[in-house]
Amino acid sequence: MIEVKNISKHFKDVVAVDNISFKVEEGKVFGLLGENGAGKTTTLRMLATMLKPSTGTANIRGYDLIQEPADVRGEIGILFGGETGLYDRLSARENIEYFGLLNGMTKKDISVQIEKLSRSLEMEDYIERRVGKFSKGMKQKVALARSIVHNPSIMFFDEPTSGLDVTAVRIVHKFIKELKSEGKTIIFSSHSMNEVEKLCDEVGIIHKGKMIEVTSLEGLKEKFKEENLEEIFVSLVGEKNE
Amino acid sequence: MNKFTKIVFKKEIMDTFRDKKTIFSSIIIPIIIFPLIAFVIGLGSSDMVKESKEPVQIALLSEENNGLEMFLKSNDNVNIIKTKDYKKTLDKLEAKVVVKIGEDFDEKIKNGEKPEINLIYDDTSQKSEMAKSRIEQIILSYTNHIVVKRLENEGINPQILEPVDIKSSSVSKEGGTGLLLFSMLLPFMLTIWSAVGGIPAATDLGAGEKERQTLEPLLTTKANRISILMGKYFTVVLAGIIATTASLIGFLIATKINPEFLGESATLSIKSIAIITLVCLEMALAFSSIELAISFYARNFKEAQTYLSPVSILLMVPAYLTMFVDGRAVPEYYFHIPIINTIGIIKEVIVSVYDFKHILITTGWNLVYIALFLMITVKMFEKETVIFRN
Ligand SMILES: Nc1ncnc2c1ncn2[C@@H]1O[C@H](COP(=O)(O)OP(=O)(O)OP(=O)(O)O)[C@@H](O)[C@H]1O
Ligand SMILES: [Mg+2]
Repeated sequence: MIEVKNISKHFKDVVAVDNISFKVEEGKVFGLLGENGAGKTTTLRMLATMLKPSTGTANIRGYDLIQEPADVRGEIGILFGGETGLYDRLSARENIEYFGLLNGMTKKDISVQIEKLSRSLEMEDYIERRVGKFSKGMKQKVALARSIVHNPSIMFFDEPTSGLDVTAVRIVHKFIKELKSEGKTIIFSSHSMNEVEKLCDEVGIIHKGKMIEVTSLEGLKEKFKEENLEEIFVSLVGEKNE
Repeated sequence: MNKFTKIVFKKEIMDTFRDKKTIFSSIIIPIIIFPLIAFVIGLGSSDMVKESKEPVQIALLSEENNGLEMFLKSNDNVNIIKTKDYKKTLDKLEAKVVVKIGEDFDEKIKNGEKPEINLIYDDTSQKSEMAKSRIEQIILSYTNHIVVKRLENEGINPQILEPVDIKSSSVSKEGGTGLLLFSMLLPFMLTIWSAVGGIPAATDLGAGEKERQTLEPLLTTKANRISILMGKYFTVVLAGIIATTASLIGFLIATKINPEFLGESATLSIKSIAIITLVCLEMALAFSSIELAISFYARNFKEAQTYLSPVSILLMVPAYLTMFVDGRAVPEYYFHIPIINTIGIIKEVIVSVYDFKHILITTGWNLVYIALFLMITVKMFEKETVIFRN
C-alpha cells in the first residue's frame, strides 16, 4: 500500500508540487493525470527517493520515504520516459543483469528472472545482442524487463508511452496489465485520458502542483455525468483556471 | 571496495572499453604520440645526416692538372660531377658546390704566391651550404698539408701553430641532446596524460548517463549514491592510469625508432619508475573526481565536453612554463604549486635526483587536493540541483 501524506516540492520560487495526499491500495493501478508542468514527474521522483520532499512524506509498503529511503528503493521499480535509457554497448542481458545486481540479487536469481522475462516479452532471439542497434520496440522491451528484474511489489511509470509508436504503446499497455494481474501496485502518469481509462482503477488529477480530484473511474464519470473523460478533464481544469 | 562499488566499477570498465572512441583517445593516441614525435624529428635530421655521410657532390672548374685537383679526385669524401654547364648543375643541385681552381695553381703555390679558389654555391639551399663548409674543410686539409711542408722546410716544428690543446667533455652523466629532449617531453606528457586521460570516460559516465536517461533508474536501485559514485570514480582513475601507461609504452617505442630520443645511456631505474608512478597516480586521483563532478553538473554530453576541454588547456600552461626547467635545479617553491610539483618530481627523477623532501611535499599537497576534490564531488552528486538540472 502507498500512502502519500501532504507532500510538497519547491524549486527556489517554483512550487512544483503543492501539498498532495492520496492512497493507493495494494494491487491497484493509480493514474496521475495532468498537463505539461503539472508536477507529475516531480511527484514520482519524490516517491522513488530521487528528490527529497520539501515537506510531507509517504509510507510505502510500511517504509517511511524520508526515514528509510534504501528500503523503499528495494520495493520499487521505475520506468521514466518513453525514450528508454539503456547502455548501447551492453547486451540486453547485461543491461538487465546490471540492475538486478544493483538491487542486491544473486547472479543465479537474475538468470532465472531473465529467462522468464525474455520468454514473456519474446526477447529470446536478441537477448545476447548489444542493444545499440535495436529497434525502438526491442529497446522498449529490454527497458521493461530491466525495470522489473528484481521483482518489485510497486512500479512507477512516468509517461511510459510518450513518443512511442502504436506497436510500442501496445507492448507497454500489455505489460502494465500483466503486472496488475500479478498483483503489483502501480502508479503511472499520463496526459492521455484514453490511456488512463484503459488501465486505471483510480485517477488523481493534478494541476499546477495541486491534486484537484482523486476518485475511481466510475466515480469521476458519475460525478460529472459525462461519458467522455476528455470533457471531464477540460471542465475540471477550466474550473480551476478561472 | 563495497559490493555495489565493485558492481558499478566492473560494468563501467566493460562499457568504457567497448567504446572505440575511448580506446582511440585513451590508448591509441597516447601510444602513438611519442613515436610520432620521434619519427618526425628523425625524418628531419636523418635526411641531413644521410647527406653528410655521403661524398660531397661537386663540379670542378680547373684549367690544368694540379695538385689540388688530384687530391680532390682521390678523396673518397668527394664525388666530382662531370658537367659542361656548371650553373645548371648547381641549379638542379646535382652538384652542391662548384669548385673553381685559379690559373697556374701549383706554380703559384711553389712561388709562395696566393692562387685563388672560388667556391660557388647557393645560399638559399641548406644542402648546398652544408656542402660548401664540408668542401672547405677538405680543401683546408690540403692547404694544411702545404703549410706543414713549408714549416718543415724552414726547420720549424708544425706544432707551433697549436699553442694550446683544447679538450671538451660534458658533465652530464648520461647522453647529451637526447636527454635534454627526454627530460623536457616526458614529464610534460606523463603529467598531462595522468590528469586528462580520464576525461573521455568521465564525460560518458556522468553527462552520458544523464543524456541516455539511465541515471534515474540507477539512483533508484538499492545501491546508495556514494557507492555508485565511487565505482564511477575508480573507472575514471583507471582510464587515466591506462592512458599514462600507454604514453609510457609509446615513449619506449619511440626510443626504438630513434635511439637519440632517449639519449645515449639514460635509463629509467626501478626506483624512478616507482616515484613517477606514485606522483602520476596522485594526479589521476585528484583530477578524476573533478572531471566527474563537472561531467555530472553538465546537462548533456556536449555541455560536458565544452566544460572539460579547458581543463586540458589549463594544464598546458604550467606544463609549458616548466618545459625548460633543469631537473638538477628545480626551485624549492615549485613543489608547493599544483601540477608544477608533479612535473618537478619527474624532472628530478629522470636525472637521478631523488629528493625525498620534495616528494613528501608534493604528495602531501596532492593528498589535500584529492580529499578536497572528492568531498566536492560527493557533495555535488548528492545535490538535487546538480543531478536534476533541467
Ligand atoms: N529540477 C528542477 N528545477 C527547477 N524547476 C523544476 C525542476 N523540475 C521540475 N521543475 C518545475 O516544476 C514544475 C513541474 O514539473 P514536472 O516535470 O514535475 O511536471 P510534469 O507534470 O512531469 O510535466 P510534463 O508533462 O511536461 O512532463 C514545472 O514548472 C517545472 O518547470
Ligand atoms: Mg514529466
